[in-house]
This record gives sequence, C-alpha cells and structure tokens, in this order.
Amino acid sequence: MVPRNQRGRRKSPRRTLWIRIAVVTMLLLAGYLVYLDFHVRQQFDGKRWSLPARVYARPLELYAGLALTPEQLAAELSALNYQPVATPRQSGQVSRNRGTFHIITRPFLHSDGREASSNFRVRIANGQVTGLDNAGSDSSLSLVRLDPVMVGSFYPAHNEDRVLVKLEEVPPALTGALVAVEDRNFYTHSGIAPLSILRALLANIRAGGVVQGGSTLTQQLVKNFYLTSERTLTRKINEAIMALMLEWHYEKDEILEAYLNEVYLGQDGPRAVHGFGLASHFYFERPLSELTGEQIALLVGMVKGPSYYNPRRHAERARSRRNFVLDVLGDGGQLTPEEVSRAKSRKLGVVPYRKKAINTFPAFLELVRRQLERDYREEDITGEGLRIFTTLNPQVQWRLEQVIATRLAGLEQAHGIEADSLQGAAVVTSVQGGEVLALVGDRHAKFAGFNRALNAQRQVGSVIKPAVYLTALEQPDAYTLATLLDDDPLTWTAPNGTTWSPNNYDREFHGRVPLHSALAHSYNVATARLGLELGIEPIISTLQRLGVEHDFQPYPSLVLGAAELSPLQVTRMYQTLASGGFRTPLRAIRAVLAADGMALQSYPLRVSAAVTPAAAFLVTTALRHAVRNGTGRALYQVLPGDMDIAGKTGTTDDLRDSWFAGYSGDRLAVVWIGRDDNGSTGLTGSTGALLVWRDLFAGLGDPGLLQATVDGIEILAIDPLSGLRADGGCRDAVELPFIQGSEPTGWAPCADGSTPFQRPMDWFRELFK
Amino acid sequence: MILTGVLKPRYYALLLVWLVSGCTGMQSGQPQPVIDQGVQSSGPAGQADDRDADAAGLQAPVSQQPPAVLALLDRAEHQANAGDLDSAAATLERAIRIDSRNPVLWHHLASVRLAEGEYLQAENLAAKSNSLAPGNRAQQIRNWQLIADARRSRGDLAGASVAEQRIRILESD
Repeated sequence: MVPRNQRGRRKSPRRTLWIRIAVVTMLLLAGYLVYLDFHVRQQFDGKRWSLPARVYARPLELYAGLALTPEQLAAELSALNYQPVATPRQSGQVSRNRGTFHIITRPFLHSDGREASSNFRVRIANGQVTGLDNAGSDSSLSLVRLDPVMVGSFYPAHNEDRVLVKLEEVPPALTGALVAVEDRNFYTHSGIAPLSILRALLANIRAGGVVQGGSTLTQQLVKNFYLTSERTLTRKINEAIMALMLEWHYEKDEILEAYLNEVYLGQDGPRAVHGFGLASHFYFERPLSELTGEQIALLVGMVKGPSYYNPRRHAERARSRRNFVLDVLGDGGQLTPEEVSRAKSRKLGVVPYRKKAINTFPAFLELVRRQLERDYREEDITGEGLRIFTTLNPQVQWRLEQVIATRLAGLEQAHGIEADSLQGAAVVTSVQGGEVLALVGDRHAKFAGFNRALNAQRQVGSVIKPAVYLTALEQPDAYTLATLLDDDPLTWTAPNGTTWSPNNYDREFHGRVPLHSALAHSYNVATARLGLELGIEPIISTLQRLGVEHDFQPYPSLVLGAAELSPLQVTRMYQTLASGGFRTPLRAIRAVLAADGMALQSYPLRVSAAVTPAAAFLVTTALRHAVRNGTGRALYQVLPGDMDIAGKTGTTDDLRDSWFAGYSGDRLAVVWIGRDDNGSTGLTGSTGALLVWRDLFAGLGDPGLLQATVDGIEILAIDPLSGLRADGGCRDAVELPFIQGSEPTGWAPCADGSTPFQRPMDWFRELFK
Repeated sequence: MILTGVLKPRYYALLLVWLVSGCTGMQSGQPQPVIDQGVQSSGPAGQADDRDADAAGLQAPVSQQPPAVLALLDRAEHQANAGDLDSAAATLERAIRIDSRNPVLWHHLASVRLAEGEYLQAENLAAKSNSLAPGNRAQQIRNWQLIADARRSRGDLAGASVAEQRIRILESD
C-alpha cells in the first residue's frame, strides 16, 4: 500500500504541475485574448483618428451685378484647383473664353446645408457679372455658390493629417483595384489567408529574404492601426489574431473604409500622408471623386511602397507599377484591353510638389483661433476635424497683401527710407455685416511672426478725432457741423500746474473754423479746445460705445490721439461709424461644423444701437469732407471723383505712425504703417497709409457711400464764415446737414434775401442730389 | 426644429404675416397685401408701391433687386415655414451680404429673431432697418410694429407704447 501510495504520491505532483501550468497558460492566453479583443474594439469603435480642423474662406457667390473681373474669378478657381479643360464634363472643371466661363462646381457641404453641383456659364463684362445661365438648358440662374477655398488647418501636435472619406464617396474603381491588387479574396476570407501566407513564405525562402507579404487588407490595417512596424514572429501572430477579431466584430465595408483612410501613402515634410483622401489632394490637388482611372491605378500601386514608388521622385518606377495595376485590372475584366492601353499611354498626372505654407494666411488664422479659443478647448480645435467657415475674402486678402508689399517698398524707395525698415498692418471689413474680409499683420504676409494687426499697440493720433466730434454732435443743442470752433493758440493748465499747448501740424493757427472743417483739416488746437469743453470722460465713453475695448487714461491729450491701440481696435471704432451708428461685433467666423457635418456653433450677425444714426451721419459727412477737401484728398488723385468715401488720416509725433481709416459703401479698411523700433518713418497719414488704402480700393470695384440722408436730418446752405444761413448772396456757401431743430435760424451777413441759394459745382453737389 | 416647440402662437402669426407680406412679392394676382418696398421686382419701374407719394422726395430710390436676393428670400421663407428659423436667419444673412443696405432684409431678420424669442436683437435689427429706410414710411411702420411687439414681449410696456406712438405719428403724417 505504502509503495503504491508512494508511487501515487511521486506521480501526482508532476501531473498536477503540468495541469497547473496548462491551466495558468490557458488563463493567461484567454486573458490576453480578452485584452486584445478589448483593444481591437476600443480603438476601432472610438475616435479612430485625430483630425485637424479645416479652415475655409467665404464661398464665392455668383449673381448678376456682382463686381468681379474675369481675372478674379480665374484666381478663385485656380485656388480651388479647378481643372482647366476644353469642355467641362465633371465637377471641378472649367473652361474659359475671355469673359465667359463654363464651370461645373463641386458639391459641397456648407455651414447652412449641402450645395449640389452646378453646371453653368457665367459672363463677366466691365467688371461685373452680366449673365448666369444653366449650361444644359440656357435658362438663367439667379445665384450660384462655389465651394470655398481651404485657407488653413489647425494640426494636432503630432502632425498627422487626413482627409476622411466615406466608402460611398470612394470611386468603385478604386476599391475594385485595391482588392484586385492587394487582396483578391478580401470579401471571402476571415481576416487571414493561410494559403497566401504559405505562398509568401515559400517565395521568401526561395529568395532568401522577405520579398512578398502575404498580408490581407485586414492584416495591413491591423499592422498600421494597432502595431508597430517591427518584423517579429510575435507581432505577426498578434497581427493574425487581431485580424481575425476585427473580422469577427466588423463588416467588410467598415474594415475597407478604415483601410482607405489609414493606409500610408507618402510624406509631405514632417506631415505623414495617410489615406486616399489626402493622397488625392497631395498628388493631384483634387478630391478623390475627380480622379481618372490611371490616377486611381497609380495610388493603388503606391500602397506597396509609397516612397519606393513615389511618382515625384521615381517617375519610371511609379509608371511601371501603375501599368502593372492597369494590367491586373485588364486581366480581371474590370477594364477592356483598349481602356488599359489608353490609360497606359497617359501621363502620371501628378502635380509638382509645392511646399505649401501650411496656413496661407497666418495673420487672419490667428484671429480665427482667437475667436475659437473662446468656445473650444485646444485639443478640440486641433483634433476633432472641425470645419470652420470664416469670413475671409481671398480676393480682398490677395490684393491687400500685394498692395502692402508693393507700396511699402515703393515708399522706402521714394522717400529714401532704409529698405525693409517699414512695417505695415491692415484690416478690411464689410461695413454692414462686420465681417473681417482680410487682415495683414506683416508686410511679408506669409510670415507667421508678430501680428501687428492684432497685437501692435501704437499711438493713434488723429484717427481718434471722430470720437471727439461725435461726442459734440450728439449734443445738437450745443454743436452742429456749422458751429464755429476756436483754433487760436491755447494753453491749458492742469490742476497740478503743468501746462499743455497743442500745435497744429502746419504750425499755424486758423482762427474761427466751422466744426466740419476742423475735423476735415484735422486742426489740433480747435479739437483740443473742443475736447476740453466736452470733458475727457464723455469722450472715453463715446469710444467705448463705438466698441473700442481699452483702458483709456483721462488726459486731455487723448483727444489728439495720445492712446495706443491696435489696428483691429481702430477698426472697431470706425465700424460703428460706417454702419450708421450700429455696433456690430467684428467676426472672423461664420459657423463651425463638426466633422460629421453637424452644426456646432454659428456666429450670427448681431447689431446694437450705439450712436444715434443722425449723429453718425454728421460725422460721416465731415469725414467725406476730409477726403474731398481736407487731409485725405490725395485719394482722388487715383479714385474716381464720383466715388464717395469717408476717411481720416492719422500721424503721430516725429512721424512715428502713419494711419488711414476709411470706408466706402461696402467696405471699411484701416491701415497702419510704422517701424517696429518705433522710430520715425518720415511719413504722415496721407503720404503713407492713405496710399495703401487707395491702392487697395482702386481694385475692389466698391461702390461709394450710398446713403444720401437719414431720418431727422435737414439740409441747409450755410455761410462758413458766420456759421449762419446763406442764400444767393453768399459766394462761398456750403450745404450742410443738421439734426432737425439744431439748424441755425439767423441769416449770414452776406445773405441779401434776393435769390435762394444755388448749389455750387463742388463736392456737396453730388452728395445731396 | 426644437425651436418651434417653444414658440408662442402669436409669433407664428407674426412669421406668417412676414411670409405673406414680404417674402416673394411676386404673386401679383393676390389681393395686394402689405408688400415691402424694395422687394417688389415685378411691375413697371417707378410704381413700386409708392403709396407714400408725399415722402417720395426724401425716399431712397427703390433699388433694382437682384434676382439673387429674391431667390434667397424665397428660400428663407420656405425654411421659416418649415420651422427652421436658424436656417432662415442664415439665408437672410446671405442675402444681406449681397444687398447689405436693403431694409427689407434687415426687417425679415428681425422677425426671425422675434420668432426665436430674441427680443432685444429683434428690436435692434428693426432699428437698423429703419435707419436704412429714410422716408420709407410703410417700412418704418412695420419696423415700429415689430419693435412694439418685441418690447411688449420682454415686459417693457412703456417702451411698447412709445413705439406705438411712433406708428401713429407715421400713419398721420
């Protein structure tokens, strides 16, 4: 018994050990499989990729009467990578015959809904759209909206980029070719293909190295998606298990779609090009849906080795690989022999590599980001694939960049200023909507450095004066445009005993001057006296009502512009004047959509009454006077005389800053020129910034100011010497608007009562016809 | 639309007034409703609803409406009809970008905001419309009506009666 017992005892520990080992191993393995399965599903179900945010310009809307030149339309289409062809047959193509364009637009998901593709002709003559017709039926169209130019992306830190595609958007030719070339049995296998692995193994043994991969598309996806690229047996086994799991949990179409978006297809500097969607843009500059058969074949061929078959580096290799793919398609019956040989004869069609500044308009994008950061976290901005629809008008932006670069260089040359020492910044907005259309923060606009439009705080000088005059004109019982101000020498003594004696720019004093002239000619002494009469606090409150957020110091010199503001802040102030006294927050973004097209946020047009429209109208009238007869008159050396503009120059001490702020019927622009070291530029507002403004507006096709009057305004002839009513006896009379009830009642000495006042042939004539 | 769930019936009514009065202005066969000036594109020039003939001297000329604006107004009408006020507002903003000084467009945007319960914004937009319609009494009366409604809705009864006073003055002028 004992020996048996002993035998049994001797035997059983070994057996139980083995059993234990087996059980533990199984448990570990099971645990590992559970873990793997969890891993596979978690990553596949969750957010698969972090997607950069895409930033779009405003879409161009075409309609009869739109101010547009053929060159502008051509530039827009070129920025959209529309393909010039003899006869457009598919979306994204255009033909042009002088001023007539035949365009087939791309369908696009705008912030307010999907716009279908439109096949139409547009005629442009004399700087405007004169006709818009359906290409098919010759019926006329009222409005066509193009897709918007993409102007930038906000990338996640690791610089991954993708243009996600949905399976149903992918041309069937692509999926067909991919399956035919990479994994013929994709639709039937269960994730791995043992036969192919065996075949590959044999081939590799025969060749004495790795020449063939037996991976299915599923395995390739697993490899890219979950694993590192090391070539070990463990990894290979993991890959196989995970491929089986993926197939177990998901449909073939889901796997294929993930593959199409994950596959690595090249390198753009530090940016890896993943997925066919981005690859299509990277190699052909157009969306996947617009690729031709041979272009698709090339991309499919490149899957095998994106750098080995890089068509830009190794065109011949790429071509033979593409032709191999075409042959496979021919053999499989997907293409006819004729189609194969025709496709083979075609060029690769790859566009030359352009090192794209990732963000074309860095200064504007900074403003966009600033607005986004109020509502989104950083990781949402860079990782969630947000689609951001901005207000940027590329036409205005291109022109602004160009005129700043050219004019600053020209100024340096003309004035003997050291080359590249001047800097400039400018903001352009839409008058009524408050949309930021263009923004430049550096004379080298592509340079993403210090953004002067947003961040430079510079002395504003006389561009602040309209706020002083507005404060006065809002008290119609005390001030009108005809009120005579005193421009004789002034010395003001502060409570602490210090004195202040402002001077005029021309070093002269002008005696009694009508209020509108004092603003038009930017007389400092008259303005200082007016400011002291009004009090500094009410003027600060006017500035705040106009929309300038700034902590102003209540010194009297504020009324002459002793305050430091950014060009954007100055824009806010003029925006409210330009839009008739209604404050409209400046907007760079119209709407934000989630990656799936869901609307997340819109930034609607909002207005609030800030200043009485009649008082704003009076200030605008004086600012019209300023560009007709005053400091801004150099505008009309170039701009047409019938274009009404309101504007104000600004010059600071020692000619450190040159400003011009002005508005037409549609657009407002504020321009600043100065030096980063705050040295003297040698330029005044009218010899510097005004010229940039003029260059810009000379090419925008804007209408002048349109509004002849507002309610509550009376227009009367006035003798400027006395500020009293004029008639035919007064030779130098002008017509001025008055807030009803504020008009002067007395007659000027020159009025003889004989004839009514005749409008002279001067600038006021066309104002109030 | 979620918004329609919270709309009070009277704003539907207001919206309907808009839809009948302003939007297309092209159904010339209908009994002449309150057709907004400026939107009317049909009919010989110069006859554009100039019932305030005495004000014609001050009135800004009725600009030729681009068909684009009419098309967008039409679309905004459909969106508003379907209760999609957000989209209607977005469409009206599109129209304002094309024709930014058109008081009719600003007025419609004001009525959409009113229907959304954004009373202060509605009032401001109507005031903006007024500022762009000097001498256009019919348009101003519609705006003041909207302002009166907006003020009443946010409990500013005194303000509403001031607005109604303005309407009486405009009507008696």
